[in-house]
Amino acid sequence: MKKRRIKTMLAAGLALIMIISLAGCGGGGSAEPENTADTDANTTVAAEAASEAANEEEVTITFANFNASGGNEETLEEMYLAFQQEYPNIKVDIETIGYDDYFTQMQTRVAGNTAPDCYELNIENFAAYAAKGVLAEITEVDFAGINETALSAFNVDGKQYGVPGSFSNVVLIYNKELFDQAGIEYPTDDWTWDDVQVAAEKIKGLSDDNFGIYAPVTYNEFFKVAAQYGGSLLNEDKTEFTINSAENIQAAQMMVGRIVDSNVQPNSSQMGGMDDWSLFESGRLGMIPTGIWAFGTFTEECDFEWDICVEPGGTQKATHFFSNAYVINADSDKSEAAATWINWLASSGEAAKLRIEKGWDLPAITDESVLSAYLEITPPENRQAVFDSLNYLVTPPIIEEYSLMSDIITGKLEEAASGKITAQEALDQAQAECESRITLK
Amino acid sequence: MNRKKILHNIGFYAIAVLVSIVVLIPFFWMISTSLKSKGALMALPIQWIPENPTFSAYEKVFTRFPFMRAAFNSFLITVSYTLITLISASMAAFAFTKIKFPFSNGLFKMYIASMMIPTQVTLIPLFIIMNKMELINTYPSVILPSLFKAFGVFLLVQNMRTIPDDFMEAAKIDGAGKFKIYRIVILPLCLPTLATLCITTFMESWNDYLWPLLMLTEKKKMTLTLALNSLNGQYATEYNVLMAGSLLSMIPIILVYIIAQTQSKKGSLEGGVKG
Amino acid sequence: MMKKNRSLREAASAIPFLLPSVVGMIFFSLLPIVISVFISLTDWDGLAALSLGTLAERFIGFGNYQNILGGEEFWRVLKNTCYYIVLYIPLVLIASLGIATLLNKGKKGTAVMRILYYIPVLTSWVAASLIWKWVLSSQYGILNQLLALIGIKGPEWLTSEIWAMPAIVLASVWKDMGFFGLFLTSGLASIDKTYYEAATVDGAGRIKTFFKITLPLLTPSIFFCLVMALINAFQLFPQVMIMTEGGPNGATQVMVERIYNYGFRYFKMGYAAAFSWLLFIIIFILTSIQMKLQKGWVHYES
Repeated sequence: MKKRRIKTMLAAGLALIMIISLAGCGGGGSAEPENTADTDANTTVAAEAASEAANEEEVTITFANFNASGGNEETLEEMYLAFQQEYPNIKVDIETIGYDDYFTQMQTRVAGNTAPDCYELNIENFAAYAAKGVLAEITEVDFAGINETALSAFNVDGKQYGVPGSFSNVVLIYNKELFDQAGIEYPTDDWTWDDVQVAAEKIKGLSDDNFGIYAPVTYNEFFKVAAQYGGSLLNEDKTEFTINSAENIQAAQMMVGRIVDSNVQPNSSQMGGMDDWSLFESGRLGMIPTGIWAFGTFTEECDFEWDICVEPGGTQKATHFFSNAYVINADSDKSEAAATWINWLASSGEAAKLRIEKGWDLPAITDESVLSAYLEITPPENRQAVFDSLNYLVTPPIIEEYSLMSDIITGKLEEAASGKITAQEALDQAQAECESRITLK
Repeated sequence: MNRKKILHNIGFYAIAVLVSIVVLIPFFWMISTSLKSKGALMALPIQWIPENPTFSAYEKVFTRFPFMRAAFNSFLITVSYTLITLISASMAAFAFTKIKFPFSNGLFKMYIASMMIPTQVTLIPLFIIMNKMELINTYPSVILPSLFKAFGVFLLVQNMRTIPDDFMEAAKIDGAGKFKIYRIVILPLCLPTLATLCITTFMESWNDYLWPLLMLTEKKKMTLTLALNSLNGQYATEYNVLMAGSLLSMIPIILVYIIAQTQSKKGSLEGGVKG
Repeated sequence: MMKKNRSLREAASAIPFLLPSVVGMIFFSLLPIVISVFISLTDWDGLAALSLGTLAERFIGFGNYQNILGGEEFWRVLKNTCYYIVLYIPLVLIASLGIATLLNKGKKGTAVMRILYYIPVLTSWVAASLIWKWVLSSQYGILNQLLALIGIKGPEWLTSEIWAMPAIVLASVWKDMGFFGLFLTSGLASIDKTYYEAATVDGAGRIKTFFKITLPLLTPSIFFCLVMALINAFQLFPQVMIMTEGGPNGATQVMVERIYNYGFRYFKMGYAAAFSWLLFIIIFILTSIQMKLQKGWVHYES
């Protein structure tokens, strides 16, 4: 009895496998655009338009991104439909991939020569991809209307290798109720870190469970705070590391001191595995400099009133600038169509409107009227601070070995934050390690 | 005597329950998280019972991507993968243990050695090979690697080595060829191990993520695991949807596990030499 | 003459059985492995399109190997990996043996327990790591709360340099014990009942039976678990990436974590390949030793 069952299973299995193999080999390899039923109407329109505009041939390009994952896939689809109205002859095969494994996948595809015509990159990876020659220079496209700082972040040696698809920045978010309780004035755009320290200590004094501020002691925060004290991680022409300059040390000491000396910021064991947003949402944290992408979550989670202001500075102000770029595959033979698509995504009015409406993120454009829709949404009340912050933007120092550098610096800063070494030692060691392990061109 | 037995039983069940709790607490948290609305999912201290339990996360799982299609793909791929593994590995194990051929030891060592290379490094070369064979974005690209499963071969070799050669002698005398011996004598005796291999292979193929991610680029060929993992965003992850999806994804494997377990029990009762 | 023919025929009969497996091995294992050896001799970045030309350009001989062995990082992560292994292997084997024994008693509820104990194996590391991050939280986690019940102040687990690795061991044992337990269970099940009957006739007690009969007959399965656990332990990766990211302060950086970072974040694929070949050599030596030693303690019926 047993054997017969195995036999039939095996036979069925083999048959199944043969069928699959035949089906797979036959059908695989052809990429079809994934669109909703509406596209049928569009295709007819496209066909007509195509036959009318004799010069316009139909082109299909492939596009991969991660920014839409985690909730914005539909918005991206809507954008595509709008794009098709304007450029019916360009079809885009959109792939949205989760952020965590996006880069492993993209790297493999580039190395294996199957990368899409155009795709998205974050700042961390952009420099390496550009430096290693796998990106095409973007020409024949009008960059007017795109934010200058954003554009410059993706300009290498005078050549434009990416268009900023979206950008976000960081502001100071504060818990109004805690400030009321401590009897302090709300932070304003003029505040410096000294003012923050005073407020933080008062808020911490309210209760043992409270903390005044939380700003991660990592590379990402550090390069910005260093700029707020007039320092930078590299020299002007990026030929030398200047990690342990006097200004940088001052910045690092301030950041670390908050944890180790005055403890207005919790250390890792005081956090107990909780993340910073959850701490703020629980109402126990006075201030948190974090990204504007937190607005949605804080609106839902916080049952106290909160507002924002431009991030305080040291001797000057400097605010974060995060942006993802759309790039073009150097090996693509459809770079013109690809350039049209990504430029449209980055700078067109329709795309920008959709982005803001759906609360996705901010388009990197200069058109104030479009951006004003963003100001209408509350909380927070002081959304203007998001745009005021744009006046002080600093971009991360983009070098080819970006990931290695940021890992080294973050590692050393963490050691300082845990009290193992001093801030000065951390920066000295980071300087030494970066010098020995990274060659700057 | 009876008291001893009762004590034994109490002791046994006490330990069993304790182990169960240890094993399952994290699992309860998964369920609890999956029933939360977009809430303070990662807040500590843990919120065991969700304030407003809702199935919205599960709804999202079904609407966010073509769930049924992805489930179908996963089934197709995983079942084929498992079948091929069982057949190919058991045949190879049979050859290694019951047939004398030159370089048998050396070849077996190569099998074991192949498990010692971290996949990160063979990823790109393998990708390129698949590309050259024009298998990218096809089902065979994720199924064919099942032909070579050193793990399965090793497992079955250990099992087949414990089968005395006399069983084979008896069959040989009856005039059976190698394949018949394989089918009629050895395979039934390996049934518990085959069932075990079936479960682990099914699970591995079902949960496989990185390779299908690279190979199956078309949305309609996506597996369930792929679809679930596309839920993480750059700045935030919807943990409740993630947990809901993970739980749903575990159901088929549990079913296979149960089926295979019942088969294996029957097999071990039947095993042994008859006459 | 006759003997030669017979042994030739015997050998030839192996071919059809080996064919599918070996063909698979050549294309999906051997070829990529050979390519990765070449990669390890270059400073290829893992991004520029891979071809013979690219590799030839970036050839640097054994440069990668020299750099790795001469640096402190390799030895440090090797030490971390060994720390993990020394804790993990005994724990996971004992735990899975315990589970297998429990399940073998055949008491009521065994079928349900079988499923329950296997559930951790089925969860993905993404979900499992999130869960364990919470369990191990020094202030709010359930582990420290339970320890407090018996008067022990639990350490800070994932944020402590000494306890981070043991924390990962705990999570890994939780996840894997059902896996190895399954193999040991099927191993236990295939022990011929007649042995037990003979033992009862001889008047042997439970414990004596276990050590004199069950364990020895279980050694092939235990050996299998030991070899696989060791090979897998050296390749520890997803838990570390998600739970600690190699921290705190590099305490949980292990070999494959380094390989991944070099290959996919720092764009030094040649270096990563060399690193993984060194890892391979270590595992290979250890496994060969195990294989040689097996004659001393593993009993196959034949």
